[in-house]
Amino acid sequence: MAMEVTQVLLNAQSVDSTVRKHAEESLRQFQEQNLSVFLLSLSGELAGEDKPVDSRKLAGLILKNALDAKEQHRKYELVQRWLALDMGVKTQIKACLLQTLSSPVHDAHSTASQVIAKVAAIELPQKQWPELIGSLLSNIHQVPAHVKQATLETLGYLCEEVSPDVVDQDQVNKILTAVVQGMNANEVNNDVRLAATRALYNALGFSHANFSNDMERDYIMRVVCEATLCPDVKIRQAAFECLVSIASTYYEKLAPYIQEIFNITAKAVREDEEPVALQAIELWSSICDEEIDILEEYGGDFTADSDVPCYYFIKQALPALVPMLLETLLKQEEDQDLDEGAWNLAMAGGTCLGLVARTVGDDIVPLVMPFIEENITKPDWRQREAATYAFGSILEGPSPDKLTSIVNVALNFMLTALTNDPNSHVKDTTAWTLGRIFEFLHGSTVETPIITPANCQQIVTVLLQSMNDAPNVAEKACGALYFLVQGYEDIGSTSPITPFFQEIVKSLLHVTDREDAGESRLRTAAYETLNEVVRCSTDETASMVLQLVPIIMTKLHQTLEAEKLSSDGREKQNELQGLLCGCLQVITQKLGASEPAKYAFMQFADQIMNLFLRVFACRSATVHEEAMLAIGAVAHATGPDFAKYMPELYKYLEMGLQNFEEYQVCAVTVGVVGDICRALDDKVLPYCDGIMTQLLKDLSSNQLHRSVKPPIFSCFGDIALAIGENFEKYLMYAMPMLQSAAELSAHTSGADDEMIEYTNLLRNGILEAYSGIFQGFKNSPKTQLLIPYAPHILQFLDSIYMEKDMDDVVMKTAIGVLGDLADTLGSNAGSLIQQSLSCKDFLNECLSSDDHLIKESAEWAKMAITRAISV
Amino acid sequence: MADEITPRRDPIKSSVGNVAAQRRRQHAITVAKERREAVVRTKRLCRVGVGGGGDDQLTYDDDGDGGDMMIDAEQSILEAQTCSAVQDLKLAMLFQGKGAMQKRVAALREVRRLLSRSEFPPIEAAIKAGAIPLLVQCLSFGSPEEQLLEAAWCMTNIAAGKPEETKELLPALPLLIAHLGEKSSLPVAEQCSWAVGNVAGEGEELRNILLSQGALPSLARMMLRNKGSTVRTAAWALSNLIKGPDPKAATELIRVDGVLEAILQHLKKADEELATEVAWVVVYLSALSHVATSMLVKSDLLQILVERLGMSNSLQLLIPVLRSIGNLVAGDAHVASTVLVIGQSITDSILPALIKCLESEHRVLKKEAAWVLSNIAAGSVEHKKLVYASEAVPLLLRLLVTAPFDIRKEVAYVIGNLCVAPSEGSGRPKLIADHLVFLVSKGCLPGFIDLVRSADVEAAKLGLQFIELVLRGMPSGSGPKLVEKADGIDAMERFQFHENEELRCMATKLVDKYFGVDYGVDDE
Repeated sequence: MAMEVTQVLLNAQSVDSTVRKHAEESLRQFQEQNLSVFLLSLSGELAGEDKPVDSRKLAGLILKNALDAKEQHRKYELVQRWLALDMGVKTQIKACLLQTLSSPVHDAHSTASQVIAKVAAIELPQKQWPELIGSLLSNIHQVPAHVKQATLETLGYLCEEVSPDVVDQDQVNKILTAVVQGMNANEVNNDVRLAATRALYNALGFSHANFSNDMERDYIMRVVCEATLCPDVKIRQAAFECLVSIASTYYEKLAPYIQEIFNITAKAVREDEEPVALQAIELWSSICDEEIDILEEYGGDFTADSDVPCYYFIKQALPALVPMLLETLLKQEEDQDLDEGAWNLAMAGGTCLGLVARTVGDDIVPLVMPFIEENITKPDWRQREAATYAFGSILEGPSPDKLTSIVNVALNFMLTALTNDPNSHVKDTTAWTLGRIFEFLHGSTVETPIITPANCQQIVTVLLQSMNDAPNVAEKACGALYFLVQGYEDIGSTSPITPFFQEIVKSLLHVTDREDAGESRLRTAAYETLNEVVRCSTDETASMVLQLVPIIMTKLHQTLEAEKLSSDGREKQNELQGLLCGCLQVITQKLGASEPAKYAFMQFADQIMNLFLRVFACRSATVHEEAMLAIGAVAHATGPDFAKYMPELYKYLEMGLQNFEEYQVCAVTVGVVGDICRALDDKVLPYCDGIMTQLLKDLSSNQLHRSVKPPIFSCFGDIALAIGENFEKYLMYAMPMLQSAAELSAHTSGADDEMIEYTNLLRNGILEAYSGIFQGFKNSPKTQLLIPYAPHILQFLDSIYMEKDMDDVVMKTAIGVLGDLADTLGSNAGSLIQQSLSCKDFLNECLSSDDHLIKESAEWAKMAITRAISV
Repeated sequence: MADEITPRRDPIKSSVGNVAAQRRRQHAITVAKERREAVVRTKRLCRVGVGGGGDDQLTYDDDGDGGDMMIDAEQSILEAQTCSAVQDLKLAMLFQGKGAMQKRVAALREVRRLLSRSEFPPIEAAIKAGAIPLLVQCLSFGSPEEQLLEAAWCMTNIAAGKPEETKELLPALPLLIAHLGEKSSLPVAEQCSWAVGNVAGEGEELRNILLSQGALPSLARMMLRNKGSTVRTAAWALSNLIKGPDPKAATELIRVDGVLEAILQHLKKADEELATEVAWVVVYLSALSHVATSMLVKSDLLQILVERLGMSNSLQLLIPVLRSIGNLVAGDAHVASTVLVIGQSITDSILPALIKCLESEHRVLKKEAAWVLSNIAAGSVEHKKLVYASEAVPLLLRLLVTAPFDIRKEVAYVIGNLCVAPSEGSGRPKLIADHLVFLVSKGCLPGFIDLVRSADVEAAKLGLQFIELVLRGMPSGSGPKLVEKADGIDAMERFQFHENEELRCMATKLVDKYFGVDYGVDDE
């Protein structure tokens, strides 16, 4: 039945593009005409020991792609397609795959092992292919090392692809035994040992039962620790990766091993090759992550319960851990600051030091200070940079009490270094450290101010000067300025920044015009800092913000004049337009918030909108996300007059709502529709048919990223609030959607934290829709139309209350919906509410909540219900 | 399935651009969320009409007399909670450390929450615990918006309390008024105008203080904003502020630049809720100030009011609109002749609108509509003919018999006015005989005689005047017989010893003249 495909597969890799295209086309046709034979032929090719390695490899790859896709929708289709295939064909294909595992050709068996995992991912949850694991395990005892290696690789991939709950504990035990045996020092073949170590990494998620058993855990830990000492660097690295994963998955089991873990990591960090040393540092970073999470759950209150207790490993290891990390800081690479993707020992060490500081707080300060004092004035730039970096890293975590006096001394030193240090790496880190100082120790919540009338001018002057420095230094200086002005966001009506406002704006604009502003993301930093300067400004400088409008508009206009761009040029144009639209968004938001400024700003509204529309027009099928975001701000500032832009804007809204692929664009557009509803109120009505159609389409699509769905529901609410009883005609479409989403989101049993979080977002969106619809219909003669939906909504409230896993936001929205229902339906809802199982308990629970917002909503709901019942 | 399994951690030293763009986007989402919540909050708390022109006061929470669903906190517990909430606020005000602002706002919110309790808000307890100076402090310039909002909200609810409680707010008034200005955000200005409106509603003394402190121009300028709820609240506060009795404030208001135009525009285009509040402003303007009335009459206000009256079915809106029309028609003698010109569309459309009101179920509407009609019927002969020929007459005749007293009295004025021509110089009014004959033939006389029997001097006088018309004007001397048949003689004789001299004389003269010694002689 299978067909000869070797030549076609080879042609498909030909350098001659005509040959290649022709071959690709035949493969496509073959697949479409007879999928069974096509897949069977490919598996035969992959298994054929007489076939060229290139065709075997490509055959395997095409097979793999026929089973899985990144995109959820496509993936689902492929799974269904495989499940529908003839059982006999599938059996043959699977036999070929298993047979290929024994091939001595590495590329063949390696590809086969990946395909097997993909098939397993589809079939095991369906209780199909039960013999797979057994037959793989029987391979383990075969003599040829390459078979063993291929089998272990397969087990690893299988564990990566398949969810743990579809594999029996008995089989898990067997897999783990095989894997750990393969890792053992007795295993003489390094390829086998490496494959086993990597397989263990994936199998760790399956091993909860085994890690609860002291003997099994001890054994696994011993084997992993031994593997970190293996002569082969790849095995050492893989073993450390296992340890990292164990540290986060089984944090609560680490205590007996922590001393040994410290010993082997310390040795690796100091002596081993970089990839291994990096993993050793990562291990401590992971432990910090765990302890930060746990301590956050404690909330500083030690009586509170957390599922996992904190073992304070970091605190205990501190005296040895900190010196080890400080040593790494001296191992900088020459030009690491110029390379955005750089990652080395010094960077990982500093990052870990920052996490340690967040974990232990004040305790880290006395351990780091001597290092800083000793190195900060040394002639070797490495020492000065390491000292500065260490200082910058520990600024988050320790209390202001502990840091303020030190920072007060250091500030002057830093400002001088930023001006005078001969080394640009040192200046880069110094500017960054200043930014960290302002981020964590400056602002309305800080008791003792670091920045005073006496030093403010000097700080600003130095930062502005540094904006003429090398791009990487200037970028960090922008960052420092960003946090400096952010500290004044709640300042009130008079800001210390006001006297320098004009100069700051001028300097930032100058930076954006620098020839080299494309390097080190300097231009982005300058615009974002400008945005923050505007956002945190006071009324005193409103006129100067207003003057920025035509300047930014001109710049945006210039980007539209460029003609015939290369693809690189288009990308740059697109990025610059994004920055400029972002800037206009912030300015609009700022000026729109104060009446006199808004009035003055409105003179530009037509021109600004015109520019945004042109930005949209310069792309063919997609919508510019930043321009859309900015339009939301304009809508809010303009209010009902925004109606005049709608005829032209509408098609781009529609385009944005249709953009499934760039789902952030879709999400932003949904948000803007909400802004427009609030601005136009019932004047949005003429556009609602189109918008609702699009939103309903979005909801029924399984291509759209799920994160966009909750805001779409909220948007239903926005529309209903705006158009009131006119929402009538959408009820018959929107209500069933809400209803089925409500049913889906009512129960979360067995879901993980991430799923519960998403479910709560979804519930909140649904509830906001209900609130909007009820309040929209309130006082209209059509409230009767909503009565049929009330029982289901009450039932939904009942079930999420019973489920006991809603967060505070959902609780507040949910109790509000109960009130809205009573408020709008009045006596019609009275008896329904009285019949409800848990409304009363729910309401009482909310009334006694510590959360003011919940309490407030509940009191309102109580009043509405009392009224509804008493009528 | 790549070789590198662990995704790399983000370095601690990263570019500000990444964080900033993310934050900016997050900020936009947060802002949108807050705005959505504000819209919902406004809709939820959307207050019931400020109808009746009385001293309705406004709190956010409507009454909800204790249902049986929950047990309300005992008043004493509530007071204790209030006391401790005010103490917390005091501490929060002193606190300067990390999160001071959030602390203050949270403490304020708690106080406001307690003050919003539906039944008996613990205002007195809050004042005793020293809330007012703290709230005043919270209103200081440059405070964060959230704090201003909460503080103003607290004051709104305190201002809705008993008169002596409202007076406690005196030290806060200058700041509340200052925050009405254009520098404030709309929500803050709106909340403050709410509070000021409640204070103004308290009485003349507080109104005068507010006026002397300059509340009026700021509120007036809020009428020019383009946000519905702001204008609505400002209009409501203004109507409380210009209530008089001194007409000065009303005159001052109409003279503020743009106010007249804003009133016209809102009445023309705004939704009913907003139009209602604006119409109340017009009610007081037209009732109190001649200056205002003459300016209003010169605009196309009356036209707009008549259109509204014709189109709307909202009782809340119809009442002030109708009363404004009445004030204008009654207050300025030229209105009937210069605005309600016969043959103009406005004149044609006003009658159906008024008839609609006469037909309504609502007593106030009927009464006010009759009042307006009586003023129109007091106009030229052409106006009388117009009303006489309309469908109003059968309605009026029925109302004269069946309606409650106050409506009957207004209706009687209309019917009476229909029967007399405008007086030229002194002397008794001239009759319009065919109107009189027709109306009497439809049985209106007993209605008037009923009025004569009432204790209301004005109504009695009206009744007597109509009897005089019948006696004098019915053809071939049939008047006295009709009056006698309707027990009119008896009704008039009651006035023989009446304390009101004018009525006594009128009644005696009529009886003497028409039912004297010669009465009945001819019949025999």
